[in-house]
Amino acid sequence: MLRLSNLSKYFGGVRAVDALELNVKTGEIFGLIGPNGSGKSTTVNLVCGIFGPTSGSIELDGVDLKRQAPHQRIDAGVSRTFQNIRLFDDLTVWQNLWVAWRDAPGQEHSWFSNWFGRSLSRRHEIQKLLEFSGLGDKSNNLAGNLAFGEQRRLELARAMASKPKLILLDEPAAGMSSAEVTDLRQRILTMKEMGITVLLIEHVMELVMNVSDRIGVLNFGTLIAEGLPEEIQNNPLVQKAYFGSSENTSGGDTNAIDQ
Amino acid sequence: MSVYVASILTNMALISFLALSAYLVLVVGVVSFGQQAFFGVGAYVTATVTSIYGGHAVTGVFIGMLSGAACALVLAILTVRLSGLYFAISTLCFAELCRLGLLQVRAPFDIDGRTTGPDGPEGFSNIRWIFEHNYSVQDFLVLTTVCLVALLGLLFLLERSRIMLRARLVGQDSILAQSLGLRPILYRIVFVTLSGGVAGFGGGLFALFNTYIEPNMFGVMLGVHGLAYAVIGGLGAPIGPLIGVAIDIGLLESIRAISAYRMIAFGGLVALLLILLPQGLISPRFVARMRRWRKLFHV
Repeated sequence: MLRLSNLSKYFGGVRAVDALELNVKTGEIFGLIGPNGSGKSTTVNLVCGIFGPTSGSIELDGVDLKRQAPHQRIDAGVSRTFQNIRLFDDLTVWQNLWVAWRDAPGQEHSWFSNWFGRSLSRRHEIQKLLEFSGLGDKSNNLAGNLAFGEQRRLELARAMASKPKLILLDEPAAGMSSAEVTDLRQRILTMKEMGITVLLIEHVMELVMNVSDRIGVLNFGTLIAEGLPEEIQNNPLVQKAYFGSSENTSGGDTNAIDQ
Repeated sequence: MSVYVASILTNMALISFLALSAYLVLVVGVVSFGQQAFFGVGAYVTATVTSIYGGHAVTGVFIGMLSGAACALVLAILTVRLSGLYFAISTLCFAELCRLGLLQVRAPFDIDGRTTGPDGPEGFSNIRWIFEHNYSVQDFLVLTTVCLVALLGLLFLLERSRIMLRARLVGQDSILAQSLGLRPILYRIVFVTLSGGVAGFGGGLFALFNTYIEPNMFGVMLGVHGLAYAVIGGLGAPIGPLIGVAIDIGLLESIRAISAYRMIAFGGLVALLLILLPQGLISPRFVARMRRWRKLFHV
């Protein structure tokens, strides 16, 4: 589905992403973890086209995304959420979805209806998505007035409103309580059942380890490990990247300077 | 209605077009100090069509509107890569270029024993269409008001469409807009062009009403006023800029006692409102609340 080859992004002398190789298979939930500053969010921004890569390629189902503008990538079926909640605070929950809405292939409305119309069938569809997100009774609330967890769910719903094939979730569990994380986990699994491929970027191990089919670990912009959740948990390289180890703490720093 | 009141009201309606054009640009998240250029271009083109080529006022204003939109389109395409302050400065430069350009155009015509046509700093005089067709000031007020209400109606429809919703999104958070599959640049070009059309239309009516125009009428201060009306009125709904106009011209100019200090009073008022209500009187949040109450009480 998503193949990143030799992907690099430098900000001046900082190598945020460095010759990254990543392959996400269709229909799987791929967890991407790594310490702060390891290039996870940059990777999301590269895939979405917010940044252009310094070098390397990004392919979605064999189509090269590198030269496509952000909106063309959405057309191609990529969608995302943000690490910091980005909603349209002054609009209602319903309008927040309506802005991003795309009709499913084969069910498109006419040009006029697409811009001006609020047909019943589409209202119904949007309401269905709201109910899926547990916001069914909040459709007329202002997005800015929702509770934190609800805003997160609204972001998730909005990411699904464009009917994506691939969703990039950028730390969706940040700041959530453990009950909310369990709820989120269920939603991500439902997305998978709906046939959506998920690239999950997350710090909350409870979520990543329980939901992912495979996990990749980033450090200094490169993939240092990849495998099943159990393999990753027991991988010494990963433990070192996250916690450091007594003999290698200084080694890690030198590493940073070298790179 | 006395001629004095009618002409004040007409002026308010005419400036409202300028304020609405500034509003349309602000909606997509950029600030323009150059809307007066489109207003001026519309005025000159309408004057030319009606006075020199003997065209009907409707034709004149229509062509004036198209020329305003065309100028705005050129500006929007030239400034596609600029943002924030740089866009604002470039609009100002563009407007000044237009004004200085008009100052150089000297092509006076002699029609029926009267001099008309653009004549550099002397201006464009004898735009006599409304005299020749026996329109009184009151008639023209009705005409202008009808045009303004029609424009508000169109904007209201636009406001309820997804186009406006998305344009506002582009204005608020262009990264988010891109991530939802929108092209911010496209929205900006479309809205700046629309704003040029609205300003050009208003300029055309302005030329017909004033019967005399000169390039210096379309200076920076005119644009700053239009912008200030839109800012204090708020970006929640098209009625906002009209309230801004009403406060300045309606309230301050009509109160004779303070008319000499109008600019000071208006400047102070703008500063005060920006401190107390930075989002303007009719802010998006205010509109959202109103909508929500309406829905809750099923009005």
